[in-house]
Amino acid sequence: MTDTDSEPQSADSPGRGSPPATSWQPFAGLLTGGDAEGEVGKVAGTEDSTPLKFHIALSPDAYLQLDDVVSTRREIPGRGTVVTSGVVTEVVARHEGAAFGSDVFLIADGILPAKVQEIAEVTTTRVEPECYVPPRPGEVAIRAAGTARDAALYFDRMDARIPAGIGRDGEPIYLNLEFLDGTRGAHVSISGISGVATKTSFALFLLHSLFTSGALGARAVNAKALIFSVKGEDLLFVDQPNARLDETLRAAYAQLGLPARPFSSAGFYAPPLPGDTTGRPHVTGRTSGVTAFWWTLAEFCERELLPYVFADVEDEKNQYTIVVHQVTSRLRREAQTAGSDGAVVIDGTVLRTWAEMVGFICDKVTDDVTRPDWAGPAIGLGTVNAFVRRLRSSQRPLAPLLRGDLNTSTDRPVAHSIDTSQQQVTVVDLHNLPERAQRFVVGVVLAAETDRKEQAGPGGLLCTMVDELNKYAPREGSSPIKDVLLDIAERGRSLGIILIGAQQTASEVERRIVSNSSIKIVGRLDAAEASRPEYGFLPVSQRQRATLARPGTMFVSQPEIPVPLAVEFPFPAWATRLSEVADPTPTGTSAAGQATGSAARPDPFSRLPRPESDPWLGDTDDGAIDEPPY
Amino acid sequence: MRFHVDGWDPTYGSSVENAENGIADSTAKVTPHIELAPADWKPISPSQVSAPGAVLFVDGVRRIEARIWIEQPPSVEPASSPGNAVRDARMALCASYAAGTVCCCPDRGAHLLTIDYRRGLFTTATNAADVPTTAGTYKATITADEQDQNLAVLLSTALQRQLTDLEVLVATHARTTLTSHGVPEDSDLLVVDGPLRGRTHLPRALGFIKSHRTAYLPPDLHTMIATLAPGERSPVFLMGTSWDRHAWYLRLPCTPGAPWAGVVRLECAADIPASAAIELANLSQALLPRYASIEYKDTRAPQNLVPVAGLERELRRHLGNPILLSRALRVASAS
Repeated sequence: MTDTDSEPQSADSPGRGSPPATSWQPFAGLLTGGDAEGEVGKVAGTEDSTPLKFHIALSPDAYLQLDDVVSTRREIPGRGTVVTSGVVTEVVARHEGAAFGSDVFLIADGILPAKVQEIAEVTTTRVEPECYVPPRPGEVAIRAAGTARDAALYFDRMDARIPAGIGRDGEPIYLNLEFLDGTRGAHVSISGISGVATKTSFALFLLHSLFTSGALGARAVNAKALIFSVKGEDLLFVDQPNARLDETLRAAYAQLGLPARPFSSAGFYAPPLPGDTTGRPHVTGRTSGVTAFWWTLAEFCERELLPYVFADVEDEKNQYTIVVHQVTSRLRREAQTAGSDGAVVIDGTVLRTWAEMVGFICDKVTDDVTRPDWAGPAIGLGTVNAFVRRLRSSQRPLAPLLRGDLNTSTDRPVAHSIDTSQQQVTVVDLHNLPERAQRFVVGVVLAAETDRKEQAGPGGLLCTMVDELNKYAPREGSSPIKDVLLDIAERGRSLGIILIGAQQTASEVERRIVSNSSIKIVGRLDAAEASRPEYGFLPVSQRQRATLARPGTMFVSQPEIPVPLAVEFPFPAWATRLSEVADPTPTGTSAAGQATGSAARPDPFSRLPRPESDPWLGDTDDGAIDEPPY
Repeated sequence: MRFHVDGWDPTYGSSVENAENGIADSTAKVTPHIELAPADWKPISPSQVSAPGAVLFVDGVRRIEARIWIEQPPSVEPASSPGNAVRDARMALCASYAAGTVCCCPDRGAHLLTIDYRRGLFTTATNAADVPTTAGTYKATITADEQDQNLAVLLSTALQRQLTDLEVLVATHARTTLTSHGVPEDSDLLVVDGPLRGRTHLPRALGFIKSHRTAYLPPDLHTMIATLAPGERSPVFLMGTSWDRHAWYLRLPCTPGAPWAGVVRLECAADIPASAAIELANLSQALLPRYASIEYKDTRAPQNLVPVAGLERELRRHLGNPILLSRALRVASAS
């Protein structure tokens, strides 16, 4: 299996078509949930008991597991009852009465009397009322359930909350919407190893939860999502029900108060097929409802997109950026639209393709006569050559995206551009593009959306999900795309743009983006990565656990709750690959922009029955871009 | 009752701490021909025996928390100078003691069966009363004063008597609870840590003596004990001091060293038939080496049996924190 980066479906691909395989058991905690408040033990006196951390000695017949919610109460003279609640962050079992390691054999042989005692470490989440006194040794500790659990985890204080999954105790865990929609905070940062951390799946689940839980109220109408897909065509089926959707899964969604259905309103964009002059989208799995996107050269010149072509990390350090800006403004001033295909005329030369334009610009900046005008005065030949070298290297990657040779039908002048306003979820498929083109698309689209939001003013909500954020906003250096992302991270909250960034390693993403994320989520982590300071919000025990978290388990940290909570989220109710599509007949969505693409020229084979031996069924190599070699 | 707590730690200046075992009686009457004729005495190797349903180990611990002085009422004749009344005070011991049993049975392994603890005030002062403190009440036990006896020894003996009574109590109680966890009745063996004196009425009971102060056997037989190999025992003999019992020596597995390293003396009641005593001796020989402790884990190895060591640790824990108890007594004396 060459796939190293796809999400849960690859983890259990051998069991495809069958009920969820063992690697995905999100509801292990379901069986252990209980409504009854039972005493589990007493506050231990052999360890220091503090208002923020205390220990519970467990009764012989009781148990506590990590992430269980417990509470204990104490009578304070004059203040009434103080309830201290917390989450179990460590459980230790010991032989009491044994002094040597070998004593365990004597105890097992029935020679030495000893007792097994379990002690649970509890990290306080809430003290109510706020009287920070330590729980006293000997006080009864109970397993919190129902309202006590809601209070311990601040769910009772959340005016609007969205389900984030099911906790280890089998009960739902919520996120405070105010920290997601920009009221008090925004942005989500998801970290974890590719393949097993299920970052994309969880991000989609969060979006599903956000849109369908009803927490947004009337704002749900104006809540949109923009998803950049770099992992194959996985996300091109989010509007299709998952064939694996069974009663268990429905019950899991029902427990969270969410409908078990796919995204009802979704639009899909893919780059045009290379070499095809009709502008068909470059997709293989999904055959209809996908719109091709590109930018005409006229738009390229007018909207000053040239800087996004130079999106390499080290670019800002170099002199040639002066040339870039010079050429950009020159293009905007000189370019005249020619015809309806988006071609431009500059100085009498008609430019129809990116290659022509690259050639034209290179000629202009290298020619001694035109250089001062195009590259700027007193620009050395070395700088110009640096510019030319980089511009020429973009010729192949960007050629399919920058076009002046495709007919943009007159009745739909913007059909080829990505538009998030027509549907709730917009998926931009980038997996067929080289990395350089991916950066170009992400940068340009995000910049356009930021501008649009700026003009529209607050009100709507746009969640932009960027996978492999470390590629676009690396810790070192700067680039136009990083500037856009930083802008979103710092200003997006007020603009209504929510950044959902996913990355393998948060330590390699620009620090300001991570620190601006109110909600931090961690899936399975590499052991070395888990010890980095970026994960300081995880207690020691959770850092260790993160290195063995199963697919479907995430640690969710939100500002109000001092301890990250472990959640398990249900398997997607939408198809995550072609083989999971419940109804194989593709149904077009209400997306308006699809007409230009395949809907205008339907694939003649799309209605043929798909044979069982379809090569895509067994294909797990989704052609994704190789991961950076960490 | 007014009393004062002696400022000195009670462990100081108590040369009679070991008086609990009594002063060695060199006039022991030994009858060696119970199992073998004295001429045939030789080490006896272990034999095949059927294991008991459960082995119960009984032990007690004691700790003197404080030495106190109880004020005596002023003597009837008027003091020579009223402003400087003669004050008389009698010494008393405040002690905590605890006894318990460990059951080693096939089903549940080694586990504590019963534990009981008491606090007592031991004195010869007739006006002594119970002392309530925040850490428990010291129940007064008044002993008749014997002018010819050292007072400290006298009080210590009184404490030991109470502890022995408590041990018998927990042992009897332990036997009644045994049936509740699947041990067939009358199939258990009771091992008492220390001499069996005062407890010989307990059925199927063995006294287990770790230290030896007196050579009870005649010199020729006595030298044979040093030749015992680990696991071997001496023949059973009858010995009588202030009380009679069957006894035998057994060498527990240990690293070879001093001639008497690892040797323990076992006792059982004198009023049982010799064959029953021999049977018990064989049983002890097969059973006890299994429980012997290891040098680096126990400073009294191998004689201090592992279950007993565990029990003692647990019992001492039940006695409570000595600093806390001593402080509680001082507070009580001031009030």
